[in-house]
Amino acid sequence: MLTLREIEAAFSRALLGGDERLAPAEVLDDGLAPGARLHIYRHHVFTTLTAGLRATYPVVCRLVDERFFGYAAAQYIQRHPPRGPCLFEYGASFPKFLAAFEPCRHLRYLPDVARLEWALHAALHAEDVESLDPACLRGLPEDGLPQVMLRLDPSLALLSSRWPIDRIFRVNQPEADPGIVVDLAAGGVHLEVRRIGDDAVFRALDRATYAFRLALAESHCFEEAAATALALDDSFDLAAAFQALFAEHLAIDFETPGWRQENA
Amino acid sequence: MVVAGGELITVEGARGVPLAAGIGLRAPHLDEILTTRPAIPWLEIHPENYLGGGPARRALELVRHDYPLSFHAVGLSLGSVDGVDPRHLKRLQVLAERIEPALISEHLSWSTAGSVYLNHLLPLPYTEESLAVVCRNVDRVQAVLGRRILVENPSLYLRFRYSPILEPEFLNELSRRTGCGLLCDVNNIHVTAQNLKLDPVAYLKTLQPALVGEIHLAGHARNDADGQTILIDDHGSRVPSDVWQLFSQALAHLGRRPTLIEWDTDIPALEVLLDEARVAERHLTDEPSEHCRADAA
Repeated sequence: MLTLREIEAAFSRALLGGDERLAPAEVLDDGLAPGARLHIYRHHVFTTLTAGLRATYPVVCRLVDERFFGYAAAQYIQRHPPRGPCLFEYGASFPKFLAAFEPCRHLRYLPDVARLEWALHAALHAEDVESLDPACLRGLPEDGLPQVMLRLDPSLALLSSRWPIDRIFRVNQPEADPGIVVDLAAGGVHLEVRRIGDDAVFRALDRATYAFRLALAESHCFEEAAATALALDDSFDLAAAFQALFAEHLAIDFETPGWRQENA
Repeated sequence: MVVAGGELITVEGARGVPLAAGIGLRAPHLDEILTTRPAIPWLEIHPENYLGGGPARRALELVRHDYPLSFHAVGLSLGSVDGVDPRHLKRLQVLAERIEPALISEHLSWSTAGSVYLNHLLPLPYTEESLAVVCRNVDRVQAVLGRRILVENPSLYLRFRYSPILEPEFLNELSRRTGCGLLCDVNNIHVTAQNLKLDPVAYLKTLQPALVGEIHLAGHARNDADGQTILIDDHGSRVPSDVWQLFSQALAHLGRRPTLIEWDTDIPALEVLLDEARVAERHLTDEPSEHCRADAA
């Protein structure tokens, strides 16, 4: 007889990996084999998690077809099961898994399409926040602005791809014209994803704006973000880029070394 | 507040759940409920779906203004030997403080082993060891939430070789040791009894009526597994007649309790759920003993 800890570990291995060395011995036959009884639980785990992944990654599913998606999802669930009970948080590593998944390695754009779908999904569930009133920065010392680090909207994701994933995404929506063909050689794209109102949306950014916002999102100060953008485009309008962060309600908080907003 | 029918069961200072038939609130019905505000006595949600932000959370904040709410958790894993995940419990506590649900319930099952969350309500052997584990976890949850929870009987598809305590006795004892209440899922009793060849009425009558704070009703699927019929608790159809009949017997034994219609797969139009709730309401308002005779006829 196993302890409860051993039973839970044995069930976990049986349900996820099909390892039935220990679990069936704990179960009464009772007219139906223990393995068949365990399979009822295993089936539920895999079908519900696959359905969740399909809902998060509908374009990936459409690009590879339902059957292949089911196969890939089963492999993913087995190797990367959920770590917590909030299933809207499950599947963040699916794009990385797809990138290394041999049967679809030839679809080189697929992991980037998956990253876009995850960013949209995550944006939808991101924490609700108040945007920062630019008046809060007025109390800064004269030379403080270059050192300001902004905290940006938690629904924001910035992703770049060497593939036209925005077009791939759009032509694979249910309502799209099936006759449209995407030229994979058309080049890459820098995308900004975030939630606006109740909708997760994305748009393409020029590469200097993208680099500026990415640097800020990665906790670089304004001066460093500006230098990154100017290195890519020496006509980059810093003042306009800074104002846009507030006009678009992207900035939600800020700090400078030795001076915090609450000091204002 | 829309309250159709009857007194409120007040739970430790929270707004009450009426002694009437409510429905499980599911995402496809959210907009319609917010727009048309139908007269539903109370609603129940799975809090795990609302622990993020965004439109789902905002909709919940709106719903709570007009309807008494109950949290029916699925992720606390009360049967885990490793205990309840403190981070998850904290998130649930924060949501509960904000939404102030009238009831909070969870299942007599486990889902987490080590760091892995298996998306199912998995069975426990009913032993003294399991009882100690579940009691410890329920104590912890009730201490953090600062309130009594209800624990629900699960649907079972297997029985352990060593499981000397009967499930209803296990639940009674869990309640005695922790002070938790019980959620009597009548469909789950029916499904478990069919799958494990038990007597559902004997099960029901073992439950101590005073401990039961809520009743659940749902439909189930009938599957063939190697020539044997197995009932699957899929919450994907109307409540079948044998579950209605068992519900009548539950009311006769337990007395009237807030009752909920659950529907989770192949979710139909809201009106279908409201119709099921009306049937449950008729059972609640009529004499239970008469229902036993009517259903048996």
